[in-house]
Amino acid sequence: MKRTLTSVLVASALLSLSATSALAKVTDKDIENDATTPGDVVSWGVGTRGQRYSTSTQINTKTVKDLVPAWSFSFGGEKQRGQESQPVVSNGKMFVTGSYSRVFALDAKTGHKLWQYEHRLPDGIMPCCDVVNRGGALYDNLFIFATLDAQLVALDQDTGKVVWKEKLGDYAAGYSATAAPIIAKGMVLTGVSGGEFGIVGRVDARDAKTGKLVWTRPVVEGHMGYKYVDGKPVENGISGTLNATWPGELWKTGGAATWLGGTYDPDTGLAYFGTGNPAPWNSHLRPGDNLFSCSTVAIDVATGKIVWHFQSTPNDGWDFDGVNEFITYKTKDGKILGGKADRNGFFYVLDAKTGKFQNGFPFVKKQTWATGLTADGRPKFIPEGRPGDPAKSADGKKGNSVFAAPSFLGGKNQMPMAYSPDTGYFYVPANEWGMEIWHEPITYKKGAAYLGAGFTIKTLDPKDIGGNYIGALRAVDPKTGKIVWEVQNNAPLWGGVLTTKGGLVFWGTPEGFLKAADAKTGKVLWEFQTGTGVVAPPIAWEQDGEEYIGVATGWGGAVPLWGGEVAKKVNMLNQGGSMWVFKLHKH
Amino acid sequence: MRRLHCLLAAALMLPVLALAEAGDDPLGSPAWLDLKPSFVGNARVVFDDRVKVSGPKIAEDSLNVPVGVRIEGLPDIERVLVVADLNPITKVLEFSPRGALPALYFRMKLQQASPIRALALTKDGIWHAGGIWIDAAGGGCTAPSIGRSNANWTATLNTVQAQAWENDQQSRLKLKIMHPMDTGLAPGIPAFYIEKLSLRDARGHEWMMLKTFEPVSENPVFSFDFVGRTPPGLVLSGHDNNGNLIHAKVAK
Repeated sequence: MKRTLTSVLVASALLSLSATSALAKVTDKDIENDATTPGDVVSWGVGTRGQRYSTSTQINTKTVKDLVPAWSFSFGGEKQRGQESQPVVSNGKMFVTGSYSRVFALDAKTGHKLWQYEHRLPDGIMPCCDVVNRGGALYDNLFIFATLDAQLVALDQDTGKVVWKEKLGDYAAGYSATAAPIIAKGMVLTGVSGGEFGIVGRVDARDAKTGKLVWTRPVVEGHMGYKYVDGKPVENGISGTLNATWPGELWKTGGAATWLGGTYDPDTGLAYFGTGNPAPWNSHLRPGDNLFSCSTVAIDVATGKIVWHFQSTPNDGWDFDGVNEFITYKTKDGKILGGKADRNGFFYVLDAKTGKFQNGFPFVKKQTWATGLTADGRPKFIPEGRPGDPAKSADGKKGNSVFAAPSFLGGKNQMPMAYSPDTGYFYVPANEWGMEIWHEPITYKKGAAYLGAGFTIKTLDPKDIGGNYIGALRAVDPKTGKIVWEVQNNAPLWGGVLTTKGGLVFWGTPEGFLKAADAKTGKVLWEFQTGTGVVAPPIAWEQDGEEYIGVATGWGGAVPLWGGEVAKKVNMLNQGGSMWVFKLHKH
Repeated sequence: MRRLHCLLAAALMLPVLALAEAGDDPLGSPAWLDLKPSFVGNARVVFDDRVKVSGPKIAEDSLNVPVGVRIEGLPDIERVLVVADLNPITKVLEFSPRGALPALYFRMKLQQASPIRALALTKDGIWHAGGIWIDAAGGGCTAPSIGRSNANWTATLNTVQAQAWENDQQSRLKLKIMHPMDTGLAPGIPAFYIEKLSLRDARGHEWMMLKTFEPVSENPVFSFDFVGRTPPGLVLSGHDNNGNLIHAKVAK
């Protein structure tokens, strides 16, 4: 009897033999309704549409002055690096990832540690921009997260034991993974990182309970997509048309990393993944639009096929990586639109079903590379704004250098914005900066940086941007394209945003403050010094009649790695690594 | 003072009989009374000569201390625990000799001189204990694995080498699995170790099951004994605590 039972369990191909939780498991319905259920946060984006809008009202414009710390938890270790994670909360448990592919399960009310999982990383990992992780997905009794050595790990929510593990890519070829997976129809959807190493961006869908592949969709034109039948790959159509927008063989190492993950709207059945820069950075090597780099691709989760794409920067030469999240929302007349604040400094509003361009406008004050957008949303390039062709330089080694704004770190980077259905505004953590950039010759070599460019980050003239700052939290009206209000910040903003039905907007700063402002006016009503920089998005949830606000803290990410003039604004900041949680003080 | 406190606490929790028997620990371990409940609960433990543990008097290499457990003439063994009383991580491994002989030879890390104890649970619910002291210069558990200096450990991770010595009467199978077996006690390196191993024949019948823990040596070596020749088509399968799988054919 005993032997029979053991055999059955082994045959199921799952690793963990631990008993499943008696508590409710996270279902597709829980995830689809996440945005409207204040008792939990079961998805990255606080709902897979990514609006980061909490329906809780206990903490509001009147009460926020009484917001005080409830608990703080240290991630420990000697390796304090950037903490970019959004926690998830379910059944009174919080799951938050830390730097170096670590996971902490905590009692959401007290901060008491339940378990900790540390992934053993090889020395040869190649994350481009700090050893961060942005969070995990909950499904069934699993917590699923991606690691710096490009693996996808599913842990038992109760024990922290590995239930299944799958490889997303070869870390030695430059693949890595830092984004939070999302769940759609029982599948876990993931992207990959490594656009600086000539990898090929793609989106994978796996059975969330077992980790087995359902389909995989490359996002570089010319590559074959596959679906899996009985575990075997079956051709599912080439993405785009071979060589239509790429010359020669360059598409084979075309980049377009899907490194920030995606969003999913159950009403359209589409998953929206942003794609990164084409590889290499030297755009003169790859004349053409280089699809689907610097785009949003909408993939039908039922078929694994690209339904539409919208490219924000064709033939990108500035690393205006287009990974930024596409947040869908309903208009008053029932239309489903999506908003995206792109690295290139333009904000795009698209029809979420068709990808048709609706509206677009700059959300930064200085752009050197385009004068605006055409009627179909394509940038009107300024030819002198593109770095020169190194092949045409005197020695053939360095093309003409140009000053470009935004910088390659973008008008907005990885930090997710929020959308409030109450105000109808997007709250965009924007940055004003520029760079000197030039192109160089380059050839692909496996596992080596594949840039073909040099650069130095620069601050902008305060006269051009209306103040001596880099970061600015901006309330953007997608209908009018107006910046309704802004709160400037000395250092670049690198954490995400949360907005609430309580009429508030929460965000963190590298200087260590978690701030709350009036969503209508931008008046800062509350702030708290967490002791280290905040580069992660806050969340809100309710438990036993109390509303909690939580944010991971710990300075790091891409900004401190690049230096330049920006270093003066950030090199005094100290590292850390904690989870902070707040609630209202009782009188 | 603390020692006395522990003794009193243990005395309050344990039945008198078990305490008396544990008090007779032939190894004279200072930690056994505290450890015992966590391994066997309130169950009865008898010290039994049929449970034999072998090893060197002094560990030459604290990272690779050869230990053998051999049980002779004791029927109905369910599982066998191996415990190092004074290691920072006390539980070394656990094995269930389903069809193999109740014997296991392996290498382990030893932080300091310690009793090495084998506890065999028989079907009647009684634990049969045996053990030895192994002296050690120290430091086996808190040193980083050698593999750390080799950036390429992922290339060989969980690969298996096997060799069998056999005749018609008896056989021995020796396995080596490439794995860092990090204890989590070296600064900045998380615990990373093989958790489970199983030997099954071509028909799926299990001959040996092991649960292993951090103190087992890096690139672990295990030897198993069988009556007669090695079972045909024997496959080793298992996984580590990061979910990396082990799967290798280890006999003809």
